[in-house]
Amino acid sequence: MMEDIIEIKNVSFKYKGSEEGLLKDVSLSIKKGETVLLTGASGSGKTTIIRLINGLIPHYYQGELSGDVVVAGKDIRTTELYDLAGTVGTVFQNPRSQFFSVDTDGEIAFGPENVGLAPKEIKKRSSTISREMKLEPLLGRSLFELSGGEKQKIACASVSALMPDVILLDEPSSNLDWNAMEDLKESIARWKAEGKTVVISEHRLWYLKALVDRIIYMNKGKIEHEWSRNEFAAFDENEVKQLKLRPVKLEENFIENFRNGRLSGHNVVDRDSQKDDIVLKDFYFAYDQKPYFFFKHKLSAEDGDMLSLNIPRLALPKGKVIAVTGRNGAGKSTFLRCVCGLEKDCKGVIEEDNQVYKGKKRLKLSYMVMQDVNHQLFTDSVESEVLLSMEKEDTARCDEILSELGILEYKDKHPMALSGGQKQRVAIASAIGAEAKLLLFDEPTSGLDFAHMEKVGELLKDLAESGKTVLVSTHDPELIDKCCDYVLCIDRGKIIADD
Amino acid sequence: MSLKLDPRTKLFMVLVVSTIIMMSATTTLQWIIRLIITLIPIGLLIVEKKYASAIRFLVMYAVALILMLRFLSEKPDGLIKSLLIGYCGIVVQFLPSIITAWYVVRTTKIGELMSAMQKMHVPDGITISLAVVMRFFPTIKEEYASIRDAMKMRGVMLGGGNAFRMVEYRMIPLLFSCVSIGDELSAAAITRGLGGKVKRTSVVELKLKAADYAFIFIFTLATASFIFFKYVK
Repeated sequence: MMEDIIEIKNVSFKYKGSEEGLLKDVSLSIKKGETVLLTGASGSGKTTIIRLINGLIPHYYQGELSGDVVVAGKDIRTTELYDLAGTVGTVFQNPRSQFFSVDTDGEIAFGPENVGLAPKEIKKRSSTISREMKLEPLLGRSLFELSGGEKQKIACASVSALMPDVILLDEPSSNLDWNAMEDLKESIARWKAEGKTVVISEHRLWYLKALVDRIIYMNKGKIEHEWSRNEFAAFDENEVKQLKLRPVKLEENFIENFRNGRLSGHNVVDRDSQKDDIVLKDFYFAYDQKPYFFFKHKLSAEDGDMLSLNIPRLALPKGKVIAVTGRNGAGKSTFLRCVCGLEKDCKGVIEEDNQVYKGKKRLKLSYMVMQDVNHQLFTDSVESEVLLSMEKEDTARCDEILSELGILEYKDKHPMALSGGQKQRVAIASAIGAEAKLLLFDEPTSGLDFAHMEKVGELLKDLAESGKTVLVSTHDPELIDKCCDYVLCIDRGKIIADD
Repeated sequence: MSLKLDPRTKLFMVLVVSTIIMMSATTTLQWIIRLIITLIPIGLLIVEKKYASAIRFLVMYAVALILMLRFLSEKPDGLIKSLLIGYCGIVVQFLPSIITAWYVVRTTKIGELMSAMQKMHVPDGITISLAVVMRFFPTIKEEYASIRDAMKMRGVMLGGGNAFRMVEYRMIPLLFSCVSIGDELSAAAITRGLGGKVKRTSVVELKLKAADYAFIFIFTLATASFIFFKYVK
């Protein structure tokens, strides 16, 4: 048998300032070359284990730690973080905040530079890695213009550049679409083939099921189950559901269908139009505008391929949840931004209830809950957040809205002190307060576990039942399956119809 | 044609230009030296194909200079004339260093700058902090754009007519997101060995070339003659 490379013995941990312990007497040993998946609900301690192995606990995140953690013969407590850099590498959840450089080349070289490798050796490694990972098209570019998937690819490459024995991934797929997940899967498979030890903390399981050797299920700070790959593969969907895990097979089937253009009768364009439909007309938009002198060129369908969004007419059913789906960069976000009037150059018109909304009026009709909801909370209490949206401040109505959403008890709290899901509800509350009829959600379930995803799904359904029309941009098939009445597919800025 | 100057040369240019503009020019010769050190960075911008900014700077500087020397220098009487002379004076005085700084920022990669500072034996602490600051500007820009969108959606761009609110609504979300990004960023950086005791290396290898020496010579000469004619002679 191979030797253990990671040894966690009777570890308990409590973050500084929190009352409840996050890990309770956890023991886990991982063999050299093994690929292990950590799963379980949010807050079950997956991320904490990752942070134990890379030494961020106790060196960066402080708290009460008891027990022993040994990685590749080094005692984590007494080893400085920079001495671990060549041994343990980590890919983090948020592609946006794990970069030190602004350009891709500098990012890959950053780790090796820190440990003082000779420039020649660094260059050799960078070129090997970029050849193996097919990074050539990304080299020499600014990191800020890359998509989430491309950023995550660079993150994987920069971890590889340090050639660590142990590679950790902390919910790496949260912000990725299916194609990017395939790339991620490939990177993990390559590490596995190279004999690296890989530990992944993850909610979305389908892309990993053929790769991992062992699955560890955590609950409330303890390891509750452990399965081998074959045991796990034998589970049926009901058993997976009972564990509150994300389905293992659904997503794959969905992607298969999506790629073949089959969306089984739910496509919003195939619907018979109704009288009370919300009709969008002339939604054209382009990011790369032609240079102009005095008059901006008015966009129309004739501009064809230059357009980032090209929707001559679209009828949406009132009071339903409609999923907006498609690949990264297909135009989902552009579509949402244009519908709610954030892009001034898009001259689209919305007709609702015999009223015509154009230009700035569209901002009144609709409200978008952003992916990073922190950007849209401005005030110092939940109540004033909702009152701010109202045309006339009405505290009684505000209380009503808050209690409908189940956040009345946090009325006087600072929005930033709430959890992610609660913040999302505050944003929804202000949307209802603004009397928006069209609610738009940008990736509301990215990075959420099964239970939270289900909650969001129910919330969306409730909103639709109360008469709002809900548009959700998502690449989460489980959410679509759970709550969406119709699907709207966008590719290259156009709406795709079923064949 | 491309002309890649060493970041050290560029930093030297910034130093020289800012030194010279801090001394007032009184004679024609001193004005000529000033003009030369203003035109060189504009020329460099053109070489780097930054035509738009080069022309903008050139026009701005020329207009201010002509206005000041031809029409306004005698007797500044009247409000508009004195305002104009103040404005043109500031432009003529400080634009040269702005142009040079603009050129340096637009044409230097962070990696190059870090490597140059290492060669000049600047402590790692300063080099890294500077790199982080430069890394953070685009992030702040991105975050700020999202916050503006959110404000538009809420119709609170003007903070309900309250100037204090207007700032508050922008700053609070911006600070929160920048703090959390900064926190994640530093966690990611230290797991990749930042802050170790080993001497950092750099893949960017810098070497002063003939062009660098030429520019250093020209700028040193400019400073020396400016000081000589102003204070010695």
